[in-house]
Amino acid sequence: MLTVYIDFKSPEAYLALAPTLELANRLSLSIDWKPFRTIERDVPKLGKEETVGESHRRVRAESQRRLAIKYAAHQGIDLTYPPILGSTELALGVLAGLDGDRLAFIRVAFQAYWHDHADLNDDATVQALIEQSGVDHRGGLAEARQLFESEQEQAEEIGIVGAPAYVIADQIFVGREHLPWIEELAQNPD
Amino acid sequence: MHVLRSDAPLIVYVDIKSPYAFVAIRPTLALEAELGLQFDWRPLTLDIPSYLGSAEKKKGQVVKSSGRSQRTWNAIRYSYRDARRYAERQGLILKGTEKIWDSSLPNIGILWVMQTARDKLADYFEAVYPPFWRRELDIEDISVVEACLQQAGIDASGFAAFAAFASGEGRALHDDLQTQFHPNGIYGVPTYVFGDDILFGREHIPYLRWALSGRQGAAPDIAYEIA
Repeated sequence: MLTVYIDFKSPEAYLALAPTLELANRLSLSIDWKPFRTIERDVPKLGKEETVGESHRRVRAESQRRLAIKYAAHQGIDLTYPPILGSTELALGVLAGLDGDRLAFIRVAFQAYWHDHADLNDDATVQALIEQSGVDHRGGLAEARQLFESEQEQAEEIGIVGAPAYVIADQIFVGREHLPWIEELAQNPD
Repeated sequence: MHVLRSDAPLIVYVDIKSPYAFVAIRPTLALEAELGLQFDWRPLTLDIPSYLGSAEKKKGQVVKSSGRSQRTWNAIRYSYRDARRYAERQGLILKGTEKIWDSSLPNIGILWVMQTARDKLADYFEAVYPPFWRRELDIEDISVVEACLQQAGIDASGFAAFAAFASGEGRALHDDLQTQFHPNGIYGVPTYVFGDDILFGREHIPYLRWALSGRQGAAPDIAYEIA
């Protein structure tokens, strides 16, 4: 079993989906998908007078976007950042409360955020995604919001600091760059 | 020296005090050897307090900290744990540093080695990086850096003048590079400059191998390669 924490607004989590599923399919590994709220920031605007720290944060954010777009293109994805990054908490709460296979919902939620720039914290939008994906979500949306907060708290308590985060053999890995080691652990858990 | 230009096929920026650069050194040297190329290794001395706040530890306990939220601390702790487990896979020891070091001297040492003994660069990295991360080196002491150069079989006479504040050629080169990083899109280490690509992190090594060896097949995804 591989536990994977995701946030729909995280470009890194989105780009990890295909390689993670490929690994899981190849090793017949089941995945427990869990929500985690990442902090995604707009690229700061170039200021007339930047401190070194402000300049660092701006250059880092620009670089992260450039690289995400580059590697997305390798996967055939035209990655376009939404004008407003927004919140995805409601969709993450729904993810936490789903019975059975969560993958159909994950796919439509990522698609909605990154292609349609949908608001995944909006009741009507998220309800439509539940219906579109055909998943079994029995609780209400208010319940989903509460569930998300408790899931987030638990994730932070065990040391999750970003997404995608993988938990396997008592180790936490943040980022799909760790998949080679994760594969090794999945094959030799001892 | 322009920060993005070189006659070499790849520019590699590193900093002795970065744990992520530490675990990138051997894989990057291995890539260089595998492809039979010589990369242009250069220093980037991180100004850590400007973007991560500062802290000082004694006997493993934080005794001074400023500008760091709990979330920042959690991320820093994860980063160290992550770098440490990969260091251990390479047979290396990585102990958390007790303060934020000024690593400009050993970094200027990289420029010295590139100019005077290019073929000894890997030996210099071995003389500096592993002992520093075992907390055995005071890298702010020039005699310590000179001893590392000598241990790597490199003539250190002239290094003190090369690294001297105000007058040293190496110091001037180092400081000039520092001013060029942010305006040219570079902010951390290891950074690889390959043509128009500026790639932060050793996870790009698979892509670099692919690009440097003729772009055969599909471009690989990011990955920390393991032996």
